[in-house]
Amino acid sequence: MGWAEGAPHNDPAVSRILAIAWKDLRSTMRNVPALAMMLVAPLALAALLGFAFGGGQSFSISATKVAVANADTGTAGVAENAGNVVVGVMKSPDLRDIITVGDKPSAAAARTSVDDGKSTTAVIIPADLSAAIFATSPTAPMAVVELYENPTQEIGGAITESIVGQALLGFNGARAAALAASGLATANGDGERAGKLAQQAAETYMRDGGAAAAVSVAQRAPRLPGGESTKDVGVTGTILAGMMIFFMFFGANNVARTIIDEDRAGTLPRLFTTPTSRHTILGGKYSSVFVTVTVQAVILLVAGRLIFSIDWGRLDAVAALTLVAAAVASGLALLVISLVRTPAQAGAIGAGVYLVLALVGGNFTGTAAAGGTYAQIQKLTPNGWLLQGWDAVMRGGGLADIGLNLLVPLLFAVAFFAVAALRFRKRYA
Amino acid sequence: MSIVEVQELCKQYDPPKGVLAVDGVSFHIDKGEIFSLLGPNGAGKSTTISMLSCLLRPSGGDALVDGHSVVTDSQAVKEAIGVVPQDIALYPDMSARENLLFWGKMYGLAGAELHARVDEVLELITLVDRQKDRVEKFSGGMKRRVNIGVALLHKPRVLYLDEPTVGIDPQSRRSILDGILALRDQGMTILYTTHYMAEAQELSDRIGIVDHGKMIAVGTNEELVRSVGEEAHVELSVDHYLEGMVERWADVPGVTKAMIDEERAVLLVQDANEVLPRLFEAAAAAGSRITEVNVTEPNLEMVFLHLTGRALRE
Repeated sequence: MGWAEGAPHNDPAVSRILAIAWKDLRSTMRNVPALAMMLVAPLALAALLGFAFGGGQSFSISATKVAVANADTGTAGVAENAGNVVVGVMKSPDLRDIITVGDKPSAAAARTSVDDGKSTTAVIIPADLSAAIFATSPTAPMAVVELYENPTQEIGGAITESIVGQALLGFNGARAAALAASGLATANGDGERAGKLAQQAAETYMRDGGAAAAVSVAQRAPRLPGGESTKDVGVTGTILAGMMIFFMFFGANNVARTIIDEDRAGTLPRLFTTPTSRHTILGGKYSSVFVTVTVQAVILLVAGRLIFSIDWGRLDAVAALTLVAAAVASGLALLVISLVRTPAQAGAIGAGVYLVLALVGGNFTGTAAAGGTYAQIQKLTPNGWLLQGWDAVMRGGGLADIGLNLLVPLLFAVAFFAVAALRFRKRYA
Repeated sequence: MSIVEVQELCKQYDPPKGVLAVDGVSFHIDKGEIFSLLGPNGAGKSTTISMLSCLLRPSGGDALVDGHSVVTDSQAVKEAIGVVPQDIALYPDMSARENLLFWGKMYGLAGAELHARVDEVLELITLVDRQKDRVEKFSGGMKRRVNIGVALLHKPRVLYLDEPTVGIDPQSRRSILDGILALRDQGMTILYTTHYMAEAQELSDRIGIVDHGKMIAVGTNEELVRSVGEEAHVELSVDHYLEGMVERWADVPGVTKAMIDEERAVLLVQDANEVLPRLFEAAAAAGSRITEVNVTEPNLEMVFLHLTGRALRE
């Protein structure tokens, strides 16, 4: 067996690219901390933030616990009890997701419930509430409904105040109208009958809960990119989409960092002494980064579906967004790595770049809530475009609705990779 | 017949004011010979090998390897060479076999041929039994063997070895040196760099001595020693009458200089084997008895000292 005079070998470049990619993938799979950051962290963050906002598919907050002490004894000659009406409004099935009402026997018991942290707010209805509302004299004493709130639970207190205030506003409006009608009838000499009619009108208003109102407010939303603007987008899905892209950056950075690791270990220079071209070597590196973050995204998408029941939208659009996001993350990671010399620099500079991009692009805030200048600023980043694309697809949009959301990030990815390739060419001439 | 022709090779880092690591080096390597670049650390040996490996672009000059320019035809050069870097350049989390398979693919091998070559190399580096163990579990000597094995997978026409014995135990060093000689005997051309004089003397058909980026001498070991006119050093101790003996030895034919250094006589002689009997005869005639003899033949260390004024190890 001789060791000299070997003939040239011509195994195709694709085979070498796959060999490099497979080697790096194996190395990544053995890196448990990196895997945890790529997969566990985004899921945990999405779960945490999702539950903080009430979990589930739609944005909600936990129902505010309200203790109610209703001391209203009603008023003579009037069947309706204003205190009961207020409590009835608060216990309305429509408000069940917002407040949970617990009856207390006394004002002191209601306050204690707040002091003990068992309730967020106490609503204390005075004994003279009905008397004050149904009084026929404009100079009758004013009743005061007390709201006793936990000062650290501002949102719950504001919700309760809004509901109770709305009910009392209706009472005051009805009473004002009744007093005006009563005054007019008295001026016409038929005061007693007019007063009774006004009182009956007020009672009817209270009983119907203002259902017969002549004017109401209806909410409408503008049509967003994505067609079916009516489809609700879950908060967990929005958060996970942002976290997924954010952590894809880090995942790509971890794999791309093997270029620096190999440079320092001497295996990269040795690769450059083999007949494998620089393009093939970089192609292998790029492939390993791309495949890794694509797999990472797929795992997160499936986990989001299985754990949080997130409806990501149409499969073709989701696949396109995933692949483009992987291309962006890979190109950006290679660019960052081409600019640094040490693993420490890769970690620090990479983290800075990705964090700024995430903050500007809206990975932590979502894109649907953005408007005005911020919405335009988000479009300066590839992730901003991607997130808007995800939002559109989760609202029911298809490929046709997200053309720009795919094209612009793809151009970013190509630019990132081109600059990285030039940098590497200069470094490893 | 030359297989490597190096012509005025230069490398300056960060020109125009950067370090001139290699300064107009020229030499050639004949097919089937071991050529050593000998010089202290920082002399420019590794930079020269990096340029001959197409890893660094020369600032000036060129080199032809197997007829291909390292400047204009790097792909053909890379197919002709196998490079063993100074530091272990392997994947520690992969087994010896996995490393060889991976590097074999990088050299363009595939399929059954690749596996056959890996088997052959594992036999050569005597690691068949440990082929499935991760490299990170290997001793320094075993890693060195795999490091060399990688460069042999594609049967290169020229093998570059950049200080392959640094930091290993004597047994592993012996094994590696024997392996290199065996490769030469099979016809492989080898470029070897070292700062160990003994290795260069033992292995090399020819030696190039480099210092501060310049090639200061090239030739066989004997040619280099002869070229600087160095003589053997003979140190003698006698039981008495040292001063008188030194005067007598100075007149012995073949002795060019005699002096006293502390309690010993130090002589410079042209040929120690020829002169030593005469020195003993002169001592016996004077009634003195030689109690200790120390002969130092002229070597590359002396050549380097003669050419640079510094010791090789400095």
